[in-house]
Amino acid sequence: MAALLETRQLCKSFGALEVARDIDFRLERGARHALIGPNGAGKTTLVNLLTGVLPPSRGAVLLEGEDLTALPQAKRVKRGIARTFQINQLFRGLTVLDNVYIAVAERLGAGGSMFRPAGRRADVIAEASGLLETLKLEGDAGRRIHELPYGRQRLVEIAIALGLKPRVLLLDEPAAGIPSAESHILLDAIAGLPKEIAVLIIEHDMDLVFRFAERITVMVSGAIFAEGPPAEIAGNREVRAVYLGSADV
Amino acid sequence: MTAPAGPGLAAARALADRHRVKWWEAAPWLAGVALFFFLPSYLAFGTQLVIAILFALSLDLVMGYAGIVTLGHAAFFGAGAYTVGMLAAHAGWNEPLSGLVAAALVAGAIGLASGYVLLRTQGLTLLMLTLCTMALLEESANMAHEYTGSFDGMPGLQFQAILGLFPFDLLYYRSQYLYALVVLFVCFVVVRMLVYSPFGQSLTGIRENVLRMHAVGAPVRARLVIVYAISAAIAGVAGALFTQANAYVNLATLGLDRAAGVLIILILGGYGRLYGAFVGAIAYMVLEHVLARAYPTTWQLGVGLLLIAVALYARNGILGIADALWRRLRAAVAR
Amino acid sequence: MDLISIALGGLAAGMVLFIVSVGLSVTMGLMGFVNLAHGGFAMLGGYVIVQTMKLWGLPFFAAVAVGFVAIAALSVLLEKLLYARLYRASELDQVLFTIGLVLVMIASITLGFGPETQTVVLPEWLRGQTDLGFIRYRTYSLAIIAAGVLLAAALWLGFERTRIGAQIRAAVDNRRMAESLGIDVGRLFTLTFALGGGLAAVGAGLGAEILGLDPQYPLRYLIYFLIVVAVGGLGRVTGVFFAAALIGILDFVLKIHFPKGGTMFIYALTLALLLWRPQGLFGRRSG
Repeated sequence: MAALLETRQLCKSFGALEVARDIDFRLERGARHALIGPNGAGKTTLVNLLTGVLPPSRGAVLLEGEDLTALPQAKRVKRGIARTFQINQLFRGLTVLDNVYIAVAERLGAGGSMFRPAGRRADVIAEASGLLETLKLEGDAGRRIHELPYGRQRLVEIAIALGLKPRVLLLDEPAAGIPSAESHILLDAIAGLPKEIAVLIIEHDMDLVFRFAERITVMVSGAIFAEGPPAEIAGNREVRAVYLGSADV
Repeated sequence: MTAPAGPGLAAARALADRHRVKWWEAAPWLAGVALFFFLPSYLAFGTQLVIAILFALSLDLVMGYAGIVTLGHAAFFGAGAYTVGMLAAHAGWNEPLSGLVAAALVAGAIGLASGYVLLRTQGLTLLMLTLCTMALLEESANMAHEYTGSFDGMPGLQFQAILGLFPFDLLYYRSQYLYALVVLFVCFVVVRMLVYSPFGQSLTGIRENVLRMHAVGAPVRARLVIVYAISAAIAGVAGALFTQANAYVNLATLGLDRAAGVLIILILGGYGRLYGAFVGAIAYMVLEHVLARAYPTTWQLGVGLLLIAVALYARNGILGIADALWRRLRAAVAR
Repeated sequence: MDLISIALGGLAAGMVLFIVSVGLSVTMGLMGFVNLAHGGFAMLGGYVIVQTMKLWGLPFFAAVAVGFVAIAALSVLLEKLLYARLYRASELDQVLFTIGLVLVMIASITLGFGPETQTVVLPEWLRGQTDLGFIRYRTYSLAIIAAGVLLAAALWLGFERTRIGAQIRAAVDNRRMAESLGIDVGRLFTLTFALGGGLAAVGAGLGAEILGLDPQYPLRYLIYFLIVVAVGGLGRVTGVFFAAALIGILDFVLKIHFPKGGTMFIYALTLALLLWRPQGLFGRRSG
């Protein structure tokens, strides 16, 4: 059965520096997949390759069998791939509601509409407001991004990705920066995602990883090092040596 | 989906009401009409002012909202100006309203073509290329001197009466002023509509974070090219008004001076704020009218110092300062 | 005019462009700062050179040296006081600031010295013609060509063989990586800004007979400086050298054979070139 999202021998080098080596990665429908590995292993690079931010040196990216490799970022989003960034990429001068509005409007194809005011699209406003409620952001809806603490901004980043109603959701260290008091908001949001969506999380927080993931991929130095269900990965001595250290999981 | 409550509802309402016309938005138009009745000897100046506002408004679309920094916007102003001039002088086509349309079409087409090609680049390269495009047009106009009159321009153009009823009057500028004011109003309505539409909001998104816009699936380049073409068309209308109102056109309409001038006006007033063009043009042209005649070099010195100060301290122009003061006032009152 | 005369004339103009623009290229490559006031520094330097010769009777090369030092010092001063505050600012703010600065420079010179073109009195041995064997040509132009080539060679050696040169090259290629390697990019920038400003002054003074020297100098030649820098590739000394030579010769040829529309060709060529290769002829594509 064709995976929802897969890569075939995906490679990327910057001159002599190889950041992705022959990656054969599969993300299944409805997956709850985590991508872990030491810093510099190439996890974010892989997401950048999957989303089209980086063009590969060799290899292909396929979505339900369709070759996306030549498609730019925006077109891949339209095919159903959404991601959050490791460092927030938000519209800092706009309000929280505006930020999510823009994402929802684009998804609904309303982003290019010139003749009706943005305020008249009650459907977009309602959906955006709903997303804010899901992430407990409705209290900040009218505030500008730069006025919010970083952790709340992170949640806006998630809200935007959710607003795109993707088939594949790639979250790059979503919990980073969110204070532990609020991390349950994130967890609830992820748990509440529709079952058909394939979700890939890059994380360093092992707690989160092992609670969320049904499958884990370990990357080291640009290549896939190990892959399997959580128990298998946790028990894998080599993985522990290279990454998890001697800490008990 | 349940309706949002509390602050969420307030924010949703604010967004839904953002485009509603506020009472004070009538002020500039009332002032414009008042000028006609109370200061009839200043209508020539008033006409130039209205044209400057329209030109700055077009630049605001492209620079204030979409974030495209261009030093070559006079290319479109000049294109519109020369279209009307050449049609009148060589094709005997001097009906003003259709002239405006022709100018908008020509300038818009140039904007579309150059935008399509230039907006693949960014930063210094883009800035450079906008300068090159404008210089190219200026040189072409210079070269085609049988049609354009080169440095001397085309003086003594004649235009039919507006709607057949209101003749152009080079002495008191009465018809010109109201004509320009009406054209400004119409164009302003269009720009305002664009700014408050989802399209306009996506432009702000592109300006604020282009990577994020790509990452929400927006066709960024297409949006930029479209707004560039629309802005070019409006700049062309401003140029056409210039030629019609003053009955002449020359190479200065295509020059760096005019391009830099409109940039200064917009920054002074505050870009990305719809009314920055009004405030900036009024402030700049009044000051220029008063000071530049007497002491042109000192005026240049003053403008330079002003720009430095604005770049360092007041990036959002006069409206930005007013905004900040207003917010402080409200915060102080709320306590 | 025969081919060689044209080539030499154009090359001389190109060398002036090179000497003035090389500083701009390196500082832009280093900090990404759009400095539209660069021509203003050149002009100020030119006036310093002309006026010290006129008022204090300094010989030509001493005046040029004074011009270099004066503008280098001014560059450091302005960099520390003003430019440094805008490194993280938006491109628009940088454009605004530098436009404002160049207007202040132009106005100051006009107020101080009037709008007339300044004339340089060349030393005896630079006047007249030199016999090169295959042609007799203006000594002055030949000297400028020699100066440009020597400068290019000196800069090339400096960039390739010295530690600071290597640091500058690294920082131009990838500033963040250079900083993480411990390179003090801010200090490098001040240095290149000073050097670039000084060279611009020298270029304006040396080239006063070719490009002229008057208060409108910075704005009249702004587009040429930008073209040379963009076409050559930011931060590439060899790129600027060849771009300047090319533009100089092209402009000269066009002025002779197509006096009406010659410059159009240069703009069109630049457009085509930068659309094909936005990083310039010699620049490296980022990312």
